[in-house]
Amino acid sequence: MRELCDEAVSAALAAGASYADARVHQRRSQTVATRNQRVDRLDDVESEGIGVRVLVGGAWGFACDNRLSAASARATAQRAAAFAQAAPGGHDRALAPVEPVEGSYRTPVEKDPFAISLADKVEQCLRAEQGMQHDGVKVTAAFLRAQREQKLFVSSDGAAIDQEIVECGAGIDAMAAGDGITQIRSHPSAHGGSSAQAGWEYVESLALEREAPRVGEQAAALLRADACPAGITTIVVDSEQMELQVHESVGHPTELDRVYGTEAAYAGTSFLKPHDLGSLRYGSEHMNVTADATTPGGLGTFGYDDEGVPAQREPVVAEGVLRSFLTSRETAARIGSGAGGSMRADGWSRMPLVRMTNLNLEPGEGSLEELIAGVEDGIYLETNKSWSIDDKRLNFQFGTQIAWEIKNGKLGRMLRDATYTGQTPVFWASLDAVGGRDEWVLRGLTNCGKGQPGQYAHVSHGTSPARFRNVQVGFRS
Amino acid sequence: MDALELAERAVRAADADEALALVNRERSGQARFAGSEVHQPTLIENEVVELQVVRDGRLGLAASNRTDDDALKALAARAGEAADSAPADPAFAGFAPAAELPTVEGYDEETASLPPEEQARLAAAAIDASSLDLYGYFTSGLTELALASTGGLAHRQAMTDAGVLTLAAVDGASGYAEETSWRVSGVDPVATAERAVEKAERTRGAIELEPGSYGAVLEPYAFAELLLYFAYDAFGARGLIEERSFAAGRVGEKVFDERFSLAEDSLDPRGLPKAFDFEGTPKERVELVENGVLRGVLWDRRTAGEAGGGQQSTGNAPPASAKQWGPIPFALSIGGGDAGSTEELAELVGDGIYITRLHYLSIVNPREGVITGMTRDGTFRVRGGKIADPLVNLRFTVSVPAMLEQLHGLTREPTLVNETSFYDERYPNGVLAPAVATARFDITGVGGGPGT
Repeated sequence: MRELCDEAVSAALAAGASYADARVHQRRSQTVATRNQRVDRLDDVESEGIGVRVLVGGAWGFACDNRLSAASARATAQRAAAFAQAAPGGHDRALAPVEPVEGSYRTPVEKDPFAISLADKVEQCLRAEQGMQHDGVKVTAAFLRAQREQKLFVSSDGAAIDQEIVECGAGIDAMAAGDGITQIRSHPSAHGGSSAQAGWEYVESLALEREAPRVGEQAAALLRADACPAGITTIVVDSEQMELQVHESVGHPTELDRVYGTEAAYAGTSFLKPHDLGSLRYGSEHMNVTADATTPGGLGTFGYDDEGVPAQREPVVAEGVLRSFLTSRETAARIGSGAGGSMRADGWSRMPLVRMTNLNLEPGEGSLEELIAGVEDGIYLETNKSWSIDDKRLNFQFGTQIAWEIKNGKLGRMLRDATYTGQTPVFWASLDAVGGRDEWVLRGLTNCGKGQPGQYAHVSHGTSPARFRNVQVGFRS
Repeated sequence: MDALELAERAVRAADADEALALVNRERSGQARFAGSEVHQPTLIENEVVELQVVRDGRLGLAASNRTDDDALKALAARAGEAADSAPADPAFAGFAPAAELPTVEGYDEETASLPPEEQARLAAAAIDASSLDLYGYFTSGLTELALASTGGLAHRQAMTDAGVLTLAAVDGASGYAEETSWRVSGVDPVATAERAVEKAERTRGAIELEPGSYGAVLEPYAFAELLLYFAYDAFGARGLIEERSFAAGRVGEKVFDERFSLAEDSLDPRGLPKAFDFEGTPKERVELVENGVLRGVLWDRRTAGEAGGGQQSTGNAPPASAKQWGPIPFALSIGGGDAGSTEELAELVGDGIYITRLHYLSIVNPREGVITGMTRDGTFRVRGGKIADPLVNLRFTVSVPAMLEQLHGLTREPTLVNETSFYDERYPNGVLAPAVATARFDITGVGGGPGT
């Protein structure tokens, strides 16, 4: 494959490119999903191809082809260059420098997920489903996934990098319905479970079978729970919902391509401006968020990003102040800060974009119980159910699967249909405590959408539960 | 090689009791621009073969985009292994039988052969027509779908699509317009960009709005997206069977305003026509709501088999990657009304709000059809029956059925609103939607102003 990439880069340079890179990706993924004790999906999917990115006269071109041959590599490079030559716009572009590297990276794996038979995977799903059976539960579902991706990156700057990324994940859901009400509980995370860059040992650590009875019982119990009352109150948010809170209200706004408007027509922009760097107060002094492409097990972990920039660990928000953006080589050069390192592509057929690596809320102190003990009157919220945030990442509204009333520092009655809403910097300013290291959990999601054509990024967030004061729960009356 | 021929080769490679192969072949270009220059161009050539096999009543699937003989043998082996790993599924209804397909339009040679340089030129035409910074894309593509099976299924459809999406925006102002067609001659990048600019210029000086329930005019872009989100859950058979969706227990009841009718219609040449679904079932027009009465939902072979009672697939099987959702709409068609324009609808509303486009929708309560999201790129106050002051982006949390209970009116002619996500393999689809005026649209918060 190295020869194909060299061929593509050479062809691009011959066609007038001032810069070119070529990526060959080969991906295999298995998905097993069961629903109500029947196999819903049992897929073994592979995809491979070459993507060639070029700069011609300052204009980007990108083309890709599933055929891995010298002829298609050359033709792909030429198509990318031809498009760039015709591309409209001013095209005043520079790239932050990067040391040319010949390197490699492999996910540390204890148990090869492809050595676990599909039959075993089906059996694990069905056992977990069995554990969720409960009166009132209409639907049980279980899901397992495994993926291996080999990536080779070669650039005209002299980089030649091969990486092998292995991911595994799993999740279970129980849906209950009755008396005109529908409720859901999930473990370890909503919307497709949780994934990690690891071997099958990660799936085993999720203990689906052990957690299944609780998931089923809680889904059924929610049918009898009171609706969460509306009002301004103190909330304690569990680490799972904090994962999405960080993702949507810190991760996306700090992507520098969004700040510069390149997602304006689709995913949106950001309330942040380039001049906010180093001075904007994002939240309270308890807020410390780090972009870390080296977090063990993180879906955003790699040796090098898809521009050949080595993995980094950078504070994004430190003691509540904006300290860095997530950057590409292009956006780093434009702002004059950073070195890139956040560029990833969803396979060979997509151009790399600025994506979150692992964006972690650094732990504070104390346990979840201690966070709750500090609340006289409030709500404890657990596991995301619905999520929405505006195009500048200011106004958000999240719903959770389950909640409990907090009275005098103790959990009280269970509540259903809880939502909370806020404006990003106001909300983070109300953060008054983050749980400690023992409460910190790394979870990974695989459905972060961005770009046109669309790309899914796989992103992890390490979070502890956190407490926020004076938050609008439900809707303003 | 012809896509159907490739599908037949894959079927022949299978060692199974039954086999079904789907080929999705794509040649497309997307000239995505921001700040009036192209920044994310993507030219794609790909073909994917998906092979499903049945062995002793067990079903497995494998897919690959390698298509030489050795690769197809390996594909068949992986599909066979997947099948052997599954328990037998007594409810499996078998693959779709051979059937005659409806004749549909949806292919245009000029669109199919549009070269990358022309895609770039059409993007440039939109950019040059805008006096404000322009964001969006021009795209065109050829998608070929073919299905072959051991049961004699042999379907093939080549479809084209072209689209231009424009957001004219500067700090404090933004406006949106798009056009989609299966003919490139059916989209006008210049006129689309000009409409976006005209809308943007009217959004300067946006003010906030107190949360509350308002009468509202929704342009087709907003109405189409809201209806599609609602329909994913409410009009799919899976939610009905599982007794958890809005439709559960309500089929046959009058639940909406009598002005509201909705169908799934892949045959309409004004949309992005399809002849068959991902299982090979021929497409047909499916009435979902007639004059406010909920008539039914969408089915695939699996859910139809689960329901029993002679229920048939309506031709709405999803692709394998979306199987967990069950049957879903790809061609919603909302019935029109009597109004000639959105201005007429504003007159019917009198006092309320006007919404161009929505952003980041999420289902809060599937049983009651409650959806939240934001407005963007053209939100206005309606006063005295006129479209008036620009508003900041508004958070809404609406029960879609409640919103559809009392309509003031709809425009006569539908607009094709592109709903192609461009994730995964290309599959052009959209919603034929008029603009609507409703008596109730619940605003629950405010966001940032328009613009970048």
